[in-house]
Amino acid sequence: MIHLLADQPSFVNALFEFSFLRYALAAGLIMGFITPMIGSFVIIRRLSFIADTLSHFSLAGLSIGLYLINRIELTFIGDPLYLAIIAAVIGAFFIEILRSYYNNYKEISMPIVMSLGTALSALFISLSGGWNTSIYNFLFGSLLTVGIEYLILITITATVVIALVVLFYKQIVLVSFDEAYAKIVGIKIRRFQFISTLILALVVSLSIVTVGVLLVSSLMIIPVAAAMKVGKSFRNTLTIAIFFSEISVIVGMWISYELNIPPGATIVLFNIVILILVGIAKRFYVNKRLKNQQKEIQLK
Amino acid sequence: MDIDIFERLIPLRLHVTNLTFGYDYRTVLKDISFKINSGDFLAVIGNNGSGKSTLVKCILGINKVGSGMIFLDDIDVTLFKNFINIGYVPQKFDDFNYEFPITVNEILTASNIRDISEDKKLELLDKIGILELQNENINSLSGGQLQRVFIVRSLMNNPRMLILDEPTVGVDRKNVEGFYKTINDLNAEGITIILISHNIHESKANFSHVLSIHNGEGVFRDLNRGEDE
Repeated sequence: MIHLLADQPSFVNALFEFSFLRYALAAGLIMGFITPMIGSFVIIRRLSFIADTLSHFSLAGLSIGLYLINRIELTFIGDPLYLAIIAAVIGAFFIEILRSYYNNYKEISMPIVMSLGTALSALFISLSGGWNTSIYNFLFGSLLTVGIEYLILITITATVVIALVVLFYKQIVLVSFDEAYAKIVGIKIRRFQFISTLILALVVSLSIVTVGVLLVSSLMIIPVAAAMKVGKSFRNTLTIAIFFSEISVIVGMWISYELNIPPGATIVLFNIVILILVGIAKRFYVNKRLKNQQKEIQLK
Repeated sequence: MDIDIFERLIPLRLHVTNLTFGYDYRTVLKDISFKINSGDFLAVIGNNGSGKSTLVKCILGINKVGSGMIFLDDIDVTLFKNFINIGYVPQKFDDFNYEFPITVNEILTASNIRDISEDKKLELLDKIGILELQNENINSLSGGQLQRVFIVRSLMNNPRMLILDEPTVGVDRKNVEGFYKTINDLNAEGITIILISHNIHESKANFSHVLSIHNGEGVFRDLNRGEDE
């Protein structure tokens, strides 16, 4: 990472000054919008580990990319991120194949694919010359690696994801909440699952740039985990999750810039802070309500 | 007239011939045969574990039939596509994720595949007696209330056949009577009904046929004719 000077401009001023920061914030906000949206369906279907699995598998793609670009000099590849996307999609295929292979132990697919991804990453990181800044950025995210090309890519992805969610909202809700019923009303579950895993793979591999491989899944899970404690309905929960997520992105990026810490760390830590605060507030509110109810009963 | 609409108006027929089904080495259903026509009301009775729910899963194509045949509207169940025409209320809701916040209204809207009108939806909620629960979170409902939500859901897509697996377990007595009245009304409107119950004698259901299953073997009676088949 570049060590910014002590007299660096404030975050707001820097936003006007540096395009990379604007791109990073825009990318973060777009990701902050779609990841909890996908994350809530992932949580309902009890597949919280799938994002982690896919992110580890896309790290393998990134490492292979680094190896091919730096060692074999296949520079036409350009950005190793493209290989990360391809790897995530391949990982998604592997998960689906293993899920149908171990019908009664579907979750077994996750650790298998995850360890394969991690092993391949270790192999190709060492082949491509060991530890370096690119790897560090891939693991924890970076504000500096967001270019206009990437911004365009995630804008298109986000548009597609939002369009799919809006168009197939009923089907997604039905399959997520009650797969057996969805099957009876004629929804093709396997096809649905396959497409949703593919989309997940795409989003996971793209969010690596801002938050890094190790923290991608938290972006999907934590805001939703906080929101589901206070949500009054499904839509309400989704809206609150997106709100928490966007706040974390803004605050996280701001702290990341000021203290020169990877944004993955600050965004996720701020998400955790929200989760804890929501937990405390909820407990306080529930206790207060119980006391009020007791008082009412006593008065009667 | 639109064929699909025309089709929806005729209740489903069901024909089961020599159905034998088992899990691994245990035979659950032995040589079951019966036939119900459009608009009939079949009560399937038997003790717990007698194979009633297994039969339902065979009819819905969830259990793959090994020996014997099941026909829905003369179409082999393995080739039948329009299961949306069958409203189904399962006995247990283990498959449903009701810990995540979602309101009754939201789950019904998502289940409204055939886009029935808002008025019809409210009418159904009112009929089943849960109109006031429409904005409640699913995870705050009691077992009986949840049961009724799923009954409304099964009626959402204008079903031509309704399969109810022990629908009144956990529902209080007052609502049970109202529920059977609704089911009788739906049957009078022409919907074929299959009601699975272990205490059918307590109910006020106007069933026309009875299939009693005991140790996997079935005895079928047409009450209109009063004869055993």
